[in-house]
Amino acid sequence: MYLRGHKTRLIWVLALFAGTAFAQTGKAPSVSFAAVPLVTAPRAAQTMVNLNFRVASGFHINSNTPKDEFLIPTALKMDLPTDIVLGKIAYPDGQNLTFPFSPDQQLSVYSGDFTIAVAVHPLLSVTPGKYVMHGVLRYQACDNAQCFPPKTVPVSFDVKVVKEPATHHANPAQSPHVHN
Amino acid sequence: MKIEEFQFCPKCGVRLSQNAGLSPEGASNTVSSVTCGACGATFQPSDVAEGALGLPAGARGNRNPLALVVVAVVAAAMLYFGMHMSRRSADAQSLIMRASPAPDFTLESLDGKNLRLSDLRGKAVLLNFWATWCGPCKIETPWLVELQNQYGAQGLQVIGVAMDDSGKDDIAKFAKDMGVNYPVLLGKEAVGDAYGGVPALPESFFIGRDGKIVDKIIGLKGKGEIEDSIKKALDTQVSASSASPPAVLQAQK
Repeated sequence: MYLRGHKTRLIWVLALFAGTAFAQTGKAPSVSFAAVPLVTAPRAAQTMVNLNFRVASGFHINSNTPKDEFLIPTALKMDLPTDIVLGKIAYPDGQNLTFPFSPDQQLSVYSGDFTIAVAVHPLLSVTPGKYVMHGVLRYQACDNAQCFPPKTVPVSFDVKVVKEPATHHANPAQSPHVHN
Repeated sequence: MKIEEFQFCPKCGVRLSQNAGLSPEGASNTVSSVTCGACGATFQPSDVAEGALGLPAGARGNRNPLALVVVAVVAAAMLYFGMHMSRRSADAQSLIMRASPAPDFTLESLDGKNLRLSDLRGKAVLLNFWATWCGPCKIETPWLVELQNQYGAQGLQVIGVAMDDSGKDDIAKFAKDMGVNYPVLLGKEAVGDAYGGVPALPESFFIGRDGKIVDKIIGLKGKGEIEDSIKKALDTQVSASSASPPAVLQAQK
């Protein structure tokens, strides 16, 4: 009877082992992208969107500014709809770490969770509505002893473009009068 | 007590439900006693109250034993499949290692000449797959330079196979910066595939004088380990059966 209570936990453990077995099969590193809640972006304004990524445990990827000319930087490439302009892409600073294969030289890397912020700027010509932004994050991962060929992870998020907020123009004709 | 809180018969363990077994004898949402449809046991709600099943009340969701079994079977199947694939992959790798002749190929070197692996028959070959973006390769390369110097006279030939998409100029610059004293070939996917896919770098194959793979090292290991494998390759003899080289992978994508 008590076994029934542990069944769910048993299943989770089995699933975990299965996942681990899969992971070990190719020992392929992965970077995962977390879903982004719907972004509301007014026209004619810049809206920052945070894109959250996670590097699988035990691996690291180069930052956007690696310290060696031959290393491949992590880079986000977005393919936005017409009239939605991509603004600045803000990459986090890398962690400066040494590795067994690079004991004398610090490398600038991302590991664990990291966030890249992108600015989207819908032009005035954009019809209000929902748009899907697509892109890819290119990265090259290593662990402590080996490196893996560059890979890409798809990135997408929804942007709800809304009309620009009404601007309040000062009208001298309506300016309050001071009555003494 | 609400009906939803009665989940399993405390006597036989069968799940109690409105359709099979739960016979509330009371108000529509509150019952005074329950009869199990499977074993016929009648009991008080307190019998299945918190702790009776070893489960906190909140943990007793709407579980279906069949669904749990299905999920457990699926999870076990995934586990088996994952382990099977892992074993298969390992078997394939060791097969490549044990595989008698090293897959032959012809690739262009940095100086523009074609090099055919089987033309090196009679030498011990260290075939090193690397890339300019590979940090561990950068550590290993000076060791290979030293080992080529140390064992070249005994018949060792280190061959670098660059497996990256960088242009020839970048590869040449890297090789020059590292003082590489052995041929560097421009790798092709087909050649990597012939050697097990080369999923990670660096990866080195040690080929005996008879053209057979004697050892393999994946990832950055110590220089001593590389040296041991070189000695194994140098200790081999050219056999009569290895006189005719295997089919050649041409230097094409």
